[in-house]
Amino acid sequence: MAAPERDSLTGYHTTGHEWDGIKELNTPIPHWWVTVFLGSCLVAVLYMWLYPSFATTTGIFKGRLGWTSHGQLAEEMVQARAAQAGWRSLLTDTPLEQVEANADLRRFAIAGGRAAFNENCAPCHGVGAGGQIGQFPALVDDDWLWGGSLADIRQTVRYGIRSGHDETRQSLMPAFGEMLSAGEIDSIAAYVLTLSDPSAAASRARLPGAELYAANCAACHGAAGEGSRDMGAPRLNDAIWLYGGTRDAIRHQIANPRMGVMPAFAGKLDDDTIRMLALYVHSLGGGER
Amino acid sequence: MPATTLQGLAPSRAIARPDIPHAVRGRFRRLKTALTVVLLGLYFLTPWLRWERGPGLPGQAVLFDLPGRRLMVFGLEFWPQDLPIAAGMMVFGAMALFFATTLAGRVWCGFACPQTVWSDLFFAVDRLIVRLVGKGAAERRLRTVAWLLIALATGIGFTAYFIDAPTLPGRLLAGQAPATAYATVLVLTGTTWLLAAYARERVCLHMCPWPRFQAALLDRQSLVVTYQHGRGEPRGRRRTPLRPDLAGQGFGEPQPTGPAPAAPRLMGLVAEAVAFSAPEPFPSLRGDCIDCTRCVTVCPTGVDIRRGLQMGCIGCGLCIDACNEVMVKLDRPEGLIRFDVESAPLRPLLAPPRVDWLRPKALAFGLAALLALGFSGYGMATLPPVSAHAEPQRNPPFVQLSDGSVRNDYALRLAHRRAGLAEVALRVEGLEGAQLRLGTQEGAPAPVLRIAIGPDRSLDERLLVQLPRADVPSGRHDIAIVLTDPDSGAELARLPSYFWGPER
Repeated sequence: MAAPERDSLTGYHTTGHEWDGIKELNTPIPHWWVTVFLGSCLVAVLYMWLYPSFATTTGIFKGRLGWTSHGQLAEEMVQARAAQAGWRSLLTDTPLEQVEANADLRRFAIAGGRAAFNENCAPCHGVGAGGQIGQFPALVDDDWLWGGSLADIRQTVRYGIRSGHDETRQSLMPAFGEMLSAGEIDSIAAYVLTLSDPSAAASRARLPGAELYAANCAACHGAAGEGSRDMGAPRLNDAIWLYGGTRDAIRHQIANPRMGVMPAFAGKLDDDTIRMLALYVHSLGGGER
Repeated sequence: MPATTLQGLAPSRAIARPDIPHAVRGRFRRLKTALTVVLLGLYFLTPWLRWERGPGLPGQAVLFDLPGRRLMVFGLEFWPQDLPIAAGMMVFGAMALFFATTLAGRVWCGFACPQTVWSDLFFAVDRLIVRLVGKGAAERRLRTVAWLLIALATGIGFTAYFIDAPTLPGRLLAGQAPATAYATVLVLTGTTWLLAAYARERVCLHMCPWPRFQAALLDRQSLVVTYQHGRGEPRGRRRTPLRPDLAGQGFGEPQPTGPAPAAPRLMGLVAEAVAFSAPEPFPSLRGDCIDCTRCVTVCPTGVDIRRGLQMGCIGCGLCIDACNEVMVKLDRPEGLIRFDVESAPLRPLLAPPRVDWLRPKALAFGLAALLALGFSGYGMATLPPVSAHAEPQRNPPFVQLSDGSVRNDYALRLAHRRAGLAEVALRVEGLEGAQLRLGTQEGAPAPVLRIAIGPDRSLDERLLVQLPRADVPSGRHDIAIVLTDPDSGAELARLPSYFWGPER
């Protein structure tokens, strides 16, 4: 092949193509561009060799580095746990009642408790711990079936209520529908409703339900309806009714009582998490000293 | 270049540009030196100023406290939400820049731009080194060392705006400064070396966008560095006789003497173009320019101002000083190159520039700058001392309590920036009988809360507002949570919110 022709005006080589006397200049891609392009190709090949990159007939090519996103997640979780280790061990070593004295530790515990709560407790008690009337008790109010101190809450979370765990909180309300007549149950319901009304204090003793209440209910719920936390017997003289505060709902509860079940979290959650949960629930506004 | 053809000003010979612009003495050089000293001084010394703010607060007068998300400027403290003030200052800066450019060309570029200031410093250092050790390998090594030292000082000086300045150098040396501090020092040292020490005028010529649109701001009344073409041409060696119209008594009179049009519109432009492109009338004589090329060799960007205003000119006026030096030696009047308006050829040669300062464009930019400054100034004068939010907790919307009262919970967040404020008083307006308590607080709720604020000047609490059964509203009820300074009783913040009761 002859030496390529050089354009006299620009000094560039021509491609040898000519149309009606017009010649095309040969302006090749700059070297640096070609170098960068080839370098990029090389990087791509290297990347494919190092990382999982393509499917094979039996699965995937795993790459020289053996990297997986699951592995990366596990590694990051380990790192996150390591970063928390100092606070966690401090939490383990601090008695539950003294955590609040350390503002930073308290913040750590409550943040962890909130996360654990949303994962484990919110399905029943609600994200805001407001509970649900007729189903699950609210945890933000000042009424507690089994006690609202840090230790009480911790024990409830750990062993549950009627959970089948050996240490579970356990109690049973008999179904009075088989023992009392419908009229008797109705008069007890009428009496129970007056317990939370201070203006009826004098007149309620004359109600027909008063005697029946004393005979059947006062043993657990107390003579004045003050409840008993040892047995998880709810207060009847307050404004909070888990299964409804109408006469109808109370009658139904006496005849065919519903009793909630809460699973034990011991074994499912570690002890630190349970302590965090207790601190978090305690901080929601109803915690007792 | 079309302008050159039009003006017939192609250089008569190639002008060798020195690698360091030559030194020059004069009015603009003195002004530039003074400004360089003042601006560099401001840059390096500001972080070292102290300002006592009280215990637990930084004592640095100007501090960009990034971890604390606040900017301390003497008695003022800015938070991220004060961004409109910063935006206002930026608009002010831009408008003031446009204003100055419309009136006097690129004075910012020539005198105050950091690129210019630092380049000027590096030029001065280079000239000093060459004068001390002459050219050669030693000079090159010395220059590199000096460049790196200045760049490093710049980097550390910049970092000192973000970290307590007096302890910064020690911490940097001891390896105890945060990694970001080292990174900042490194980046600023690198950019200073790259842009100011190495690239210098190339930044103005090739990187900076400002020259590209300055043409939109300049008009025929802008005061820019101008070569008095009618007086200087044809340029020639000293021995060539001077044009008689310049040498004679009636200096400048034979030039077009008609009264300069107040507003040289189209006809003015045409007349000017004809004057420039006309064949030179005195072939064997010369004008005032002796083509010594001093104006080119002192120019930091290396432009030949005699070719007219061009993109590379940063308006620093050093060529004016250089030309004036020469004119004085030749016993000719100063001002062959001077700050002038472009319509100069239509006036007698030595008449002072007639500038119409009150031009609508300049006035508009000035007004916009003042408005932006007023906006920011008002914002600074009325910075709210407290940032507070009370977010109603809607899950559950209300809490039924044992005694029949109803409670609403609010996530209360509070941060303040008032000196000496250690406590705030909190009450609820629009809700008769409300009792308040914090989630962390022991004891009975009270109608007015006094909350102690720690040295970090912030709170993050759960506010519980409780209402006896008889007072509970049905559904939503608008309230305001009011924060006051317990000492003076002054209201710090009023947070509109609502209280939710069971619907009846």
